[in-house]
Amino acid sequence: MDRIRYYDIRHVAGEVTHIDIDNSVIESAGTSFFDQAVVRVLGPRGWGIMTVDNYQRPRGDRFSDMINSVLGVASITGEEVEVADANRGVLDVPAMREDPRDVSIEEKTSILAGIEKSARLGGISSSRANYSERHDTVTFEDSSGNEHTYSICRCGFGIMAVASRNGVVQMGYERLHSISGLPIRHKQDIGAAAARRAIELLDAKAAKGGIMNAILDQELAGVFAHEAVGHASEGDLVKEGNSVLSGKIGEKIGNNILTIVDDPSLPEFGFEPVDAEGSAVGRTEIIRRGRVNTYLHSRETLAAIGHGAAGNARAMPGEPPLVRMSNTYIENGDSSLEEMLETCRDGILLKGSRGGQVDPGRGVFQFNAEYGYLVEGGEVAGMVRDVSLTGEILSTLHSIELCGNDLLMHQGYCGKGGQSVPVSDGSPHVLLRSAVVGGSGTD
Amino acid sequence: MSCFVLRWWVAVEPIESVLKEGSKIADEVEVFFVKGESLSASLRKREISEAAISRSTGMAIRTIRDGKIGVSSTNDPERWQECLSAAIASGELATPQEWGGLPGPVDLDPSPLACDPEITMDPALLERFCEELLEGASRYPVEVTSGSAHVSRQFSTVANSSGVLYSSPKTSVGVSLDCISGQSTGYEFDSSYRLDIDPVGVGEEAARLAHTSAGGDDIRSGRYDVVLSQIALSQFLGAVFVPALSGRNVHAGRSRLAESMGEVVIDSSLSLYDDPFDGRGLSSTRWDAEGSPARRLDFIKNGVLMAFAYDLKTAYRYGKSSTGSAVRSGSGGGPAIGVHNLVLDGKESGIMDEPALYVHDVVGAHTANPLSGDFSVELSNAYLVEGGEFVRPVRKAMMSGNIFTMLKETGGVGSKKRVTGRMILPKIRLLRQNIIGV
Repeated sequence: MDRIRYYDIRHVAGEVTHIDIDNSVIESAGTSFFDQAVVRVLGPRGWGIMTVDNYQRPRGDRFSDMINSVLGVASITGEEVEVADANRGVLDVPAMREDPRDVSIEEKTSILAGIEKSARLGGISSSRANYSERHDTVTFEDSSGNEHTYSICRCGFGIMAVASRNGVVQMGYERLHSISGLPIRHKQDIGAAAARRAIELLDAKAAKGGIMNAILDQELAGVFAHEAVGHASEGDLVKEGNSVLSGKIGEKIGNNILTIVDDPSLPEFGFEPVDAEGSAVGRTEIIRRGRVNTYLHSRETLAAIGHGAAGNARAMPGEPPLVRMSNTYIENGDSSLEEMLETCRDGILLKGSRGGQVDPGRGVFQFNAEYGYLVEGGEVAGMVRDVSLTGEILSTLHSIELCGNDLLMHQGYCGKGGQSVPVSDGSPHVLLRSAVVGGSGTD
Repeated sequence: MSCFVLRWWVAVEPIESVLKEGSKIADEVEVFFVKGESLSASLRKREISEAAISRSTGMAIRTIRDGKIGVSSTNDPERWQECLSAAIASGELATPQEWGGLPGPVDLDPSPLACDPEITMDPALLERFCEELLEGASRYPVEVTSGSAHVSRQFSTVANSSGVLYSSPKTSVGVSLDCISGQSTGYEFDSSYRLDIDPVGVGEEAARLAHTSAGGDDIRSGRYDVVLSQIALSQFLGAVFVPALSGRNVHAGRSRLAESMGEVVIDSSLSLYDDPFDGRGLSSTRWDAEGSPARRLDFIKNGVLMAFAYDLKTAYRYGKSSTGSAVRSGSGGGPAIGVHNLVLDGKESGIMDEPALYVHDVVGAHTANPLSGDFSVELSNAYLVEGGEFVRPVRKAMMSGNIFTMLKETGGVGSKKRVTGRMILPKIRLLRQNIIGV
């Protein structure tokens, strides 16, 4: 095994429970099982990777046979990959307030049915609630003798309500995901909130696109941090030359009030007790007071481009690790929402998120609000729907003029390279000067 | 027709056991079993940085007892008993529904539709693909950032207690490349079930997009005729239009097309259908994911809405028939409604003859309002077209509108169709779209 510079094996086994209630019909409520391992071997040049089902550590010579066979896969690689040293350590997984395994699936189904029912207000034509609960047991070992095992449960629910009137159809959607235990008790108000939003949107006007001042709420500003800055700071994209933040360390790209952080150690939905390569996790200030400070890294990208620490390698079960965000947020500033409305004067207040996307090499991003309100003379005015925002990473951050003092995190999933991982994004309210807003309104 | 032989007999024993044991405790049982392997290579800049091999197995069990449908799945066929128990338990919680039975066997042609026996898990093949991608890209002065090549083959079986036992092999091969020139990016891909992909062409096109999009100008906000590439069109259709054709969404009050059966819903020159037997399709099949015979389904004929898609569960619930539209994407490995090869036909015309804004791709199509169809997205690799030529690239612009209304009156489609995932589409010319520039 002398041509093997490093290997690691990450084995994830567990189960997933889903409940789906659609217009009061229990469509499905059940549990499935999975067990997958990824073996990575760093050969003389690049990586050989093998995914196996139902992994059991081979004994004796059969273990080295397995490692050598994965080394053989690496024979076509040409890049001379290096891995940097990383801090080690595994955090405790925070204790759950109520372990969902202690609650029967019958009871969970009944609670979820209550949330779904609470969304069926007058004017609502369709409602659907989903619950998901996932238990992962992760076992890791590498050729340096590091090994660890931990278990984590992630669960959550979403509720969608559809309102219709005279051929106009709108929807409201709310979700809540958590690592701190069963999140569905006493949440009927969330179902009703989704329903009220859908009904209100029936009377909202399509926003008229153009360049205007925009206040983003905490959820949308969190998505902004994720799409506009987070992805472009991922070390693999920087290493490939596919990020506008490449070569920009120390450069001022935003206002002094702007600090953007990623931190897998926070007990939020993107929490990892240790990253997928066994590196210790911690706080990374991607943007510090408006300057590009560090990138997010795996051991490989750290060795290649520097600036930061390893600890952001994450992976779905059965997939090799990629550099990923975890809990990403804009730090609190000191402005109040009233102050922002006053400074905005005329513009738009955007709320909620329907997701976003970025082209990090081009430095252009897009994301969509669930709804918004016009701001007229510093006052919140009429409701608008279907509003999106685009911008260029290197110029838009300068236009963040005020940061609020009301940071909130929201949970979601982030896709990259065919893998979806749990994340949270957050921010206080922020004010953007001269934002590019898209909408289909034409008057 | 012969194809490669996977060691799929491993699967037969648990399938038979599940059907036998399951039939004792449920009215009906169904097993969906997939065994596959894949080999992939990742390019970072101009070198292969990693090569990966994957072998996977999946088993999904569905049970029906007194109209209660239960589902569970596992990737360990040896745990079939646990999986069967979980399926039965899940059915106990489900709301009972009208159920007319799983399909019985039909004498279907067993020859595979999307399988190339020449495709093997050969690392040298991937090395060659990567070299060809780079060769193509070298025709323009750009940097390669990343790329990929893969081959895979799988064997899937659907079996049920009514005697269905259909098995079919499937192969897949694909490449992709990302290039950059300054801050101008280009991405291209190709995939097929047979060895007819063109890695040199993919490399060249990715590089061409990055090179020719550099140095773009801003454009003024206003109304423009827009030519969408097949990729951009597939993003819009996938985000909003395809879900609106699902019988489940139609009956659950989540489809804007629900009340429009028999009406003109898009340009009368356009027809939209699912053709599971299309020779180009990556997902061609003779049976759907729950063993119903697959068939051509005309959703829209000459602009008129003709049909929605149904699986068995939705069809029985609403007094309809399955359209053979089940795919495996449901929770717990269960069936859900989808398409096999969605094809758009239209009136072929010189879509680039008159001035237009050409849009290769869009950023953020998935953020469209899935019910109303309203969207506003950023454009990628957009060019102003005059006299059939790309005259200059557009630096940055948004397009806003509604996916349903934008297809109501169009300026025809291009002559060349392209396979993108589960769709086979031409380019299309849209009229007077709202563009937000400067």
